[in-house]
This record gives sequence, structure tokens and C-alpha cells, in this order.
Amino acid sequence: MAAQLFAAIDVGSFKLELGIYEITAKNGLRQIDHLRHVIALGKNTYSTGKISYELIDEMCRILEEFVKVMKSYQVSDYRAYATTAMRLAKNNQIILEQIRVRTGISVKVLSNSEQRLLTYKAIAMKESEFQKIIQKGTAIVDVSFGSMQISLFDKDSLVSTQNLPLGVMAIGTILSKIPVHSWMQRSIIEEVVNKELGTYKKMYLKDRDLKNRGIKNLIAIGELVLYLARDEVDYVASYREKNTALTAGESQGTWMGATDRVSAEDFMAYVDRLCQMSQDQIEERFGVNAGYATLLMPAAIIFRKVVEMTGAEMIWIPGIRMCDGIASEYAQSIKKLNFSHSFDDDITFAARNMAKRYRCGGSHAQCVEKLALELFDVMKKHHGLSSRERLLLQIAAILHGCGKFISTRNTGDCAYNIIMATEIIGLSHEERKLVANVVRCYGQEFDYDDDDTRVAKLTALLRMANSLDRSHKQKMENCRMAMKGGELVITTDYDGDISLEFFAVSFCEGFFEEIFGIKPVLKKKRRG
Amino acid sequence: MAEIDSRYMKYENYVNRELSWLEFDHRILEEARDKTLPLFERLKFLSITASNLDEFFMVRVASLKDMVHAGYVKPDVAGLKPEEQLRKIEEKTHGLVSLQYSTYNRSLLPALKQNGLRIVARHEELTEEEAGFVDEYFRSNVYPVLTPMAVDSSRPFPLIYNKSLNIAALIKEKEKPDQLDFAMVQVPSVLPRIVEIPSAGERVVILLEEIIERNISSLFVKHEVLDAHPFRIMRNADLTIDEEEAEDLLKEIEKQLKKRRWGEAIRLEIEENADKRLLKRLKKELDVHSGDIFAINGPLDLTFLMKMYGLEGFDHLKAPRYKPQPNPAFMNEDDIFTNIRKGDILLHHPYESFDPVVDFVKTAARDPQVLAIKQTLYRVSGNSPIVAALAEAADKGKQVFVLVELKARFDEENNINWAKTLEKAGCHVIYGLLGLKTHSKITLVVRREEDGIRRYVHLGTGNYNDSTAKLYTDCGILTCHPQIGEDATAVFNMMSGYSEPLHWNQLLVAPIWLRKRFLRMIRRETDHAKAGRNAKIIAKVNSLCDRDIIAALYEASCAGVKIQLIVRGICCLKAGVPGLSENIEVRSIVGNFLEHIRIFYFENDEAPEVYMGSADWMPRNLDRRVEIVFPVLDEKLKEKAIHILQVQLDDNVKAHVLQPDGSYAKIDRRGKSPVCAQEQFCQEALDAVKRQNALEEPEDKRVFIPVEGETE
Repeated sequence: MAAQLFAAIDVGSFKLELGIYEITAKNGLRQIDHLRHVIALGKNTYSTGKISYELIDEMCRILEEFVKVMKSYQVSDYRAYATTAMRLAKNNQIILEQIRVRTGISVKVLSNSEQRLLTYKAIAMKESEFQKIIQKGTAIVDVSFGSMQISLFDKDSLVSTQNLPLGVMAIGTILSKIPVHSWMQRSIIEEVVNKELGTYKKMYLKDRDLKNRGIKNLIAIGELVLYLARDEVDYVASYREKNTALTAGESQGTWMGATDRVSAEDFMAYVDRLCQMSQDQIEERFGVNAGYATLLMPAAIIFRKVVEMTGAEMIWIPGIRMCDGIASEYAQSIKKLNFSHSFDDDITFAARNMAKRYRCGGSHAQCVEKLALELFDVMKKHHGLSSRERLLLQIAAILHGCGKFISTRNTGDCAYNIIMATEIIGLSHEERKLVANVVRCYGQEFDYDDDDTRVAKLTALLRMANSLDRSHKQKMENCRMAMKGGELVITTDYDGDISLEFFAVSFCEGFFEEIFGIKPVLKKKRRG
Repeated sequence: MAEIDSRYMKYENYVNRELSWLEFDHRILEEARDKTLPLFERLKFLSITASNLDEFFMVRVASLKDMVHAGYVKPDVAGLKPEEQLRKIEEKTHGLVSLQYSTYNRSLLPALKQNGLRIVARHEELTEEEAGFVDEYFRSNVYPVLTPMAVDSSRPFPLIYNKSLNIAALIKEKEKPDQLDFAMVQVPSVLPRIVEIPSAGERVVILLEEIIERNISSLFVKHEVLDAHPFRIMRNADLTIDEEEAEDLLKEIEKQLKKRRWGEAIRLEIEENADKRLLKRLKKELDVHSGDIFAINGPLDLTFLMKMYGLEGFDHLKAPRYKPQPNPAFMNEDDIFTNIRKGDILLHHPYESFDPVVDFVKTAARDPQVLAIKQTLYRVSGNSPIVAALAEAADKGKQVFVLVELKARFDEENNINWAKTLEKAGCHVIYGLLGLKTHSKITLVVRREEDGIRRYVHLGTGNYNDSTAKLYTDCGILTCHPQIGEDATAVFNMMSGYSEPLHWNQLLVAPIWLRKRFLRMIRRETDHAKAGRNAKIIAKVNSLCDRDIIAALYEASCAGVKIQLIVRGICCLKAGVPGLSENIEVRSIVGNFLEHIRIFYFENDEAPEVYMGSADWMPRNLDRRVEIVFPVLDEKLKEKAIHILQVQLDDNVKAHVLQPDGSYAKIDRRGKSPVCAQEQFCQEALDAVKRQNALEEPEDKRVFIPVEGETE
């Protein structure tokens, strides 16, 4: 049958969600069903570091029901991802095994950066709008329970992404420990938020290019903004002012009106009104329970502050969920869906920005990147790696010199630490570690203890690429590479002296041969 | 949202719901008094007023009495405390009952006699020959099942069953002439109440209690029977507090539980000329308040008239039976899913047949492409084809989810039996939601088709009951609109215990969202009117007694919104009151079919919106039930829905209009051609079928049309 059905399971910190999606050539990805069960896995993890048996039992019970629903839709595949709460739980491996045994579902724990990229992929489901919006300076702000993420896009690509320890739960905890009147709460929240955002602004919003163009749009995502967008009462108020007629479809909308956008001005005014509401009023108007109600105000203030800080003029609330991202990633992986926005480019772009920050992004780095990729492509049959590793090699090449920012000595370890401490959107923790190891090893003794042969392969490729530009003069820029009778022949038409490169290649060819069983040969093209 | 002006909320702006209900019963009684109606139809209406009144006592009066016992003094919307309400109800019900019997005695009995049916009102009127038959009937059929009971010093006063018909007698022993004793016998419910006496010319019937009364001396052989009369009591036997009352009442009553008098007699009906000593004895033993005693001039419990309607013959005195017509959208060879894909279909029952709805579930059960069927069931008929189809679907491996509502007042046992059948077949059955009655009528069929998953939804205003669908007027929509499908899925997920969706695309769902939404739509009209735009509200409901909705309607009326309401039963709103509701018009239609559709029309400045659904404008529907109100999206169907409203508004035969003084009056038809909405709908359904047939009829039958394989 033409339509393929897919199930996405999100084991979130505060809820379990199941999304059933239909993937067709004609309509692309379409959500068919959505189940949501509120369960506070996070509460436990944040306090005791473990998830209690009762919660695991409840979780398994719901997942069993999910499996039944999946069967009834005859889904052909599924992905189940867990996020922060599970990631932080000390006993997560045991829990995952229990889930697998009881329900047959294997759940993968996502790293923060993978999780964020998934949400961006979900936004990209609303393709045309996303594409339009990120042509201008855009901040994607994801406020969740444990933390928040700010990613900046400009001219269709990702500029930077940062995770801030500014979750609404944390704010809630602070508030619960400071006994103040409710009208004081707002200013305390604002102080906390200002502090965190102030630092962020100093460090990351100073990019000259971005500063000139300014941030025009803000895309607000995360569970809480979905609830904020739900206030029906203010919607009527705004409708009354505008005197527009409600049609059947629109009348189901939210206070933002027919679209899911709102101007900064309206948004600020709205948050101010929200801050004056009592807990009960918030519960009533947003249709949430007391637990959520206490979190809505901090979330609203965070968004307001981000709007102030960035000077965004328009706020877009696309109303997406994690499950959407899982499904869209899957659809893309089976080639049923194409994003016109390249997320791989976002990843490399993030790496390039990082290189800029650590001042290692010069022409040498560019040349090494190009050579490394050419090597990768020409050696394809011999290394057997996938396009994902190609991306990782590219990132390693971009960042290979970043350690020098700290010290010119021991650059490998410095680079390793920088990479491990910086989130690169879209990379899992393991992938980031792989990149960091490759960068660490290319310039020093290879550490054979690492089980991952990919490290060795990528290191060998990066070393070779770096050797080819040993003089940092891009002599090999126009070289040609080809496999000839078990040798990798690199031919250059560079006129000048290339003895330094010859030396460098001969220095690392042993390792290269050891890894691939291929001898690299550098040749100067004869003038005809 | 700003609060509604408190001046609209004043007590004087509202009518007590019980008194308004009694007005409704009065309107039905007027149908029984309408000489233009076929005679036997009038019998039916009179019977309905009697059974309605019984239910009213058992549920409403009983619960008011509970309130009084519990010392609950919170006034209702009209500012009446329970005690005051009871007093007014007493006054009204006595008037209503005497009107019932004067209708019966003065109008119906003579008319029946004229038409060749004699009801022997008292056994003394029997001819000798008839008496002979009756006595023989008594000896062979009645006597064996009677249990006479006498009360004396050694035998206590017997338990008298709720709603049972009994004969009370004053007897004295032949040996001890000065001591009077009380005796009684229950009129057996296993025997037919109406006994036909064979006769040559006119037909003659007598009621069972008269036969027993005539032969009562044979039951107490050693005694002399001085006086014997039928009587009937109604008890406060409703063990559950009526859910329509406020929650604080429930708590109050729980606290006062001990004060509640279980099984207290709340009404005593006895034949008018009963001996005073007999009455006194009954009053004392049953502890009935004088105001709750009804002296009846005629046979007790007029519901027997429904059986009378069923007597063989007399067809010329009954309204011709109407056969529900097929909806033209289904008059083809295509299967139901194909027909729904052609466009949304609006069904108007009972004018149009209920079969497509049954067919919908049946076809889904057998269709290999169907993955799941989900349905809410509330008051389903015993041997429902729908239940059978659901069981079959589960058997075929489809996912079947059924929400069975067990709290339907009168047929719990009926429900539980077939629910068990469904469970055995492998359906996922849930028995309602805690604290909420599920009143919504929705069916969802999920089908895996060539181009993906498609959802088919039926939404209705009436229950999935194929027998009441022939008597109740209801509407239903069959659609595969993706947004409605999505909402329907969310409704069932919510019923299975998952979180509510963040937004509804199209459906309006109670208890959480519906009230707000209705108020918002009413106030939108208010705003339109204030700004000089077109504003109008038409609503057809069974009952209107929600304080906030009424206040919002008053507010709209004052802003100049034209409001036309078609309210079958209770209406706590006052219409046409200067300075309050000048722009509100309320009418009530009582016809052969029970009006049951709910339609809501909002003019919305020339962008009209039409909704239908399961909810009335009552607090219980808006706050304590799961209800679904759905928009009519398709323009053609919207027209059809508006047409339904318009014809009802044009009705000048069956419509009663609410007067500013609270009474209802029929429309002065002088100079107008009569419009009877129900008859017109019947005719329109017949015409539609005729038109469709004419379209189908090939004009030249001599040309053969080869049927070729469809390519898809």
C-alpha cells in the first residue's frame, strides 16, 4: 500500500506521547493520532537521581497500551526516544531494559543536542514558513522544564545554539524556597532570567554580522508555550479589537488570532496581563492543572525577556512536538520526505561558527576540510564509512586547530576539551566524542585503546589532509586524487616547491597504510 | 471576558424549571384536547401527560422533598426555595390533573362512544349480558392471581408497591357489625388492564380494576364490603440524588442522610368518591401530606390509554403511519464510504431513515480496510443491530472501542447485558467516565485506504437507538472531513484516559469547553448588534435552563440581537419582557414525533455558523456531561439545517408561543395557510425520494448501456 504508517514515541520528562504518522508520496507526513499521558518522570530524576519503580510500572503500562494502538494502525516502523529525565536517571539502562522486556519497545536516550535538532526538524515540517522566516535573523527559543535552548538562524543557516540552565522547574524551585508575596515573584523571576540572559547576550549576541542585521523573528517552542498559546479568553479580546469575523476554522484558534503569529508588542502586553493573574485564573484560562499553572508565568517571562533582549518583532508559535520531529527525521531517513533546508549544513555551520570563535577558521582549515572530504570520497570503497561519518570528518577538519586558542602546546588535549564542552547541534554525545578524539589524535600519537575503528579511520584521513597543507599555503588546493592499483595517487600541478608536503605525507603514510592498507603517493604533474 | 451584567441575573428574570416543565406537560395535554386531531392520537397524548407526570413526581418532586428534609434552603434561579417550589408545584399539578380528567371524561369518552367504542367507566353500568362475561372472566383469569389482604390487630398494614394500582376496601365482619377493617388487593400487573367485552354492535371495553371491584365481595367472603376504590401511591424511591442538582446539595444531603425518609409516599391518588373513613385510614398509614392527595374523577393511571391506542381496528382514527424515507445520497449502488466521500451527508430522522447509520457500522465491521471502530452508546435498544455489528467487527480483529453509558436513568439492566456481550466478543468496553455522564453521540471509523488513513465520522443529536429513531426527531452528519476526524480521534483518546488535545479543530466539547464557547458565540452576536452589524440567534433545544446562557441571551436581546428559540420543554427564560427580552421569541412544538434535535444558528454578520449536537442549554449538559456540538460546514447542508429551523419557525399548527406572562398560546392562524413542520418534513422527504427516482429513471429504456469495469 502506498501509505506507510509510522509511530513516534516520546518518553519525555513530564509526559509520554505517542504520535501515529502517515507517510505518503502525495501528502508527505501527516499526523493521524496522538496520545498523551502525563507522568512526571522528571520529578524523581531531578531530586533522587533515579526513577522509582512505581513510575516505571506506570510507564510500561502506558507503553503497552501504545503498542496496542500501534498494532491497530498496523504501523510498519517506530522510533522511541527518551529525553532529559531518562538521560539524567542513574538507573536508565536498567529501565530501558525493563521497557524492552515488558513492551518490546527499544527506547533510545537522546543527548540534548540531538533532541534540539529533532525539534528543529519538527519545525521544518512547516517547511515553507520555516524557510521564509529564517532568511532573516531568527531566534528559536525552546523553553522546557529543565533548561532552555536558544538557537540563532540567519540567512537560512544556523549561527549558534546554546543551552542555558534556565528551566522553569529550576525557577519554580528557587521561588518555592524564597517566601515572597506573589506580586514579588515576578521581579525575582526577572532577576534570575536577566542574569542568565545577560551572560548569554554578552557572549553570543555580539556577532557583528548578526548585530547589524538584527534579530527579527522569534520561534517559540516547547511544551509550555503550547499552553500559553491556548488562552481563549484573550483571543476573544483580540478579536473584538480587530473586529474580524470568526470562521469555523479560525474560531477554534487561540488568542493569536487566525494565524499562529503574534507581534512583539501584543506578546509583551499579553505577558504583562498574565503576570497579574492569580494561580486560579491561570488554571481556569489555560485549562491546566495547578502544577502546570505555576510554570506558565516563569515560561512567559523568559519568552518576554528573550523578545526584549533580541528585539524580535514577530513571534511564531508553530505548535510542534517532539513526536513530529521524530517522524519527520524518520520520513527523511527513508527518503519519503525532503527538507529544502539542509540540517547537515546547520551542523557544519555551527562547527564553522565555533571555529570562528576559537580563531581557527582560516584558509588552512578550509583547505584541510576540502582535502579531507576529497580523500573520504575517493577512498569510499576502502573505508566503508557512511555519509554521517563524512559529516563528522568535516566537522573535525573545521575544528582541527581550535586547541591553539588555549595554548600552542598540547593542542590536541585542549581541542578535545573545547569540543567536549561545546554543544554541536545535531550531534549525539558519542558523535561529539568521536570528533573530539579525531581532533585530539591527528597531531599526536594515536591511542590504540579506543575500540571505535572509526576514530582511527577518520584520524588517518584528517592527518593526511593536514599533511597535504603542511605549509598552510594551500599548495594542494587543485590536486587530483585517484585510486590506481592499490595506491592512492595524489597529483598536483603546483609549480613551486612541495618538499615540505612530501615530507609530511611520508611522515604519516605509515599510519595511513596501517589503517587502510593503501599507500598514498604524492606526485607532481609533469608539464607537458 | 467581562462578567455579565448582574441585572440580567436577577431572580425575577427567571422561571422556575419545575413550573416551566408543568407548562410543557400542559401543552401536551392541549394536544389531547385538540379536536382537529385524530381521536386515538389524542388518547396517546393524554397517556403521555400521565406518564410524564409520574416521572416528574418520582424524580423532581422526590428530590425537592429530599431538599426540604435536608433543610436545604438555597433558592433556584427564580429565587424560590425548595419548600416554596413544592407549594407552587402542588397547586399546578392539581390543576393539571383535573384538566386531564375533564379531558378524559367530557371530551374523549363521549367521542369514543360516538365512534363505536364504549368504555365502561363503572361496573354498575354493565348490561346483564356483559356482566355475565365479566364475572366469568374474573373467575377464570383474575381470581387465581389475586392476593387479598386484610388489616386487623394481628395483621399489619401491608407494603404497597410504588406506582402499583390497588383497590382499598372498608370491610366489616358479618358477625361483628360495628368493627370496620381495612382491606386491599393489588390489581395484578401481569394481566392486561383493558378487557374487551364481546358484543355485537359497538365495541366495549372495561378496565381490570372495575372487574375486580365488582367481584370484591368474593375475596372477603366472611365480610361485608362497605366501600371499595382503586388507589395508587408514588414513593420517593429514587435512591440516587438527581444529578441535576448542585454539588453542594449532594454534600448537604450526604451529611443529612439520616434525615432522609426512604420510600416516603409523595403522592396518593384515589378515586374521588371514596369513603372518608377509607381515605383517612390510608392517609394515616402512608403518612401523606393532604396536598399530596389527588382525588381522581376517573380511572387512575391514564397510561393505559397507550394500550388503548394499540387496540385492533380504529385505523381511521389514528394518524397514518409514516415510513422513514431513504436519504437521496444513498439511493445508488455505491457503498456507504464512497457516498460519504462524495460529500458530507445530513440525515434528518425520522423523516429520513436511520438505516444508513446502522449500515455505517455494519459495513465498517465487514470491510477489510477498516482498522478501528469507536463509538459511544447510550440507551441502545435491546437487540440492536449496531451492537451485533460491533461484536462482529471485534471478532474480525478490528480494534473496537465502545463507551457504554450505564447511568441512563431507566434502562441500566438493558445496558449491562449487551455490554457484557461486547466484552466477550473482544471489544474494549469502558463503562462511562468518573463523575461524568457521556451524552455525546459519536462514531468513528478508521479506514486504511489507497492514499492513506481516512476517518469517517458520524455525529448525531440522538442516541444510537434504531427504535427511538422512528419516533424522535434527530439529526446526524456523516463526514470524512479530516479535521473532524482528528477531533473525533481526540475525543476517544480523551475517553480512554489520555490528556485532552491542545486545540479542537471543529468540535465543541463539554464539560470543559462548551459553555465558554456558547457564551462567546452569543456575545459575539451582541457585539455585532452593538456595532450595527447583522446579528441573530436561532436555537432549537429541548430545554433551556442555564442561568449564564439565559443572562447572555438577555444581554444580546438588549443589544438588539434578534433571538428565536424553539424550546420543546423547560424554558426558564422569560420572553418578550420590555427592557429585558423584547427581541426574544420562544416557541415550543409538540407533535406526533418527539422533538429532539438541537440546532444552533448564529448570524455572525452575514457569515452564519450552524451547529448541532447532543447538548441542551442546561447546567447538567454544559457542566456534568461529555457532550459534542459540531459545526455544519458544508454550505448545502448548512442550508438544509437552516431550512429545518425555518420551517419550525413557520409552524402555525403545532407551535405554542411563550407569552410575556409565562403562559403559552397557539398562533392565530387567520389569513395564513397552515404550516405543520413535522408534516412538511414528511412530505419533503417523500418528494426528495421521488425526485431522485426521476433522475435515476433512464429516459430511453431501449438503449442498452454496457457496464464497463471501473478503473481506479
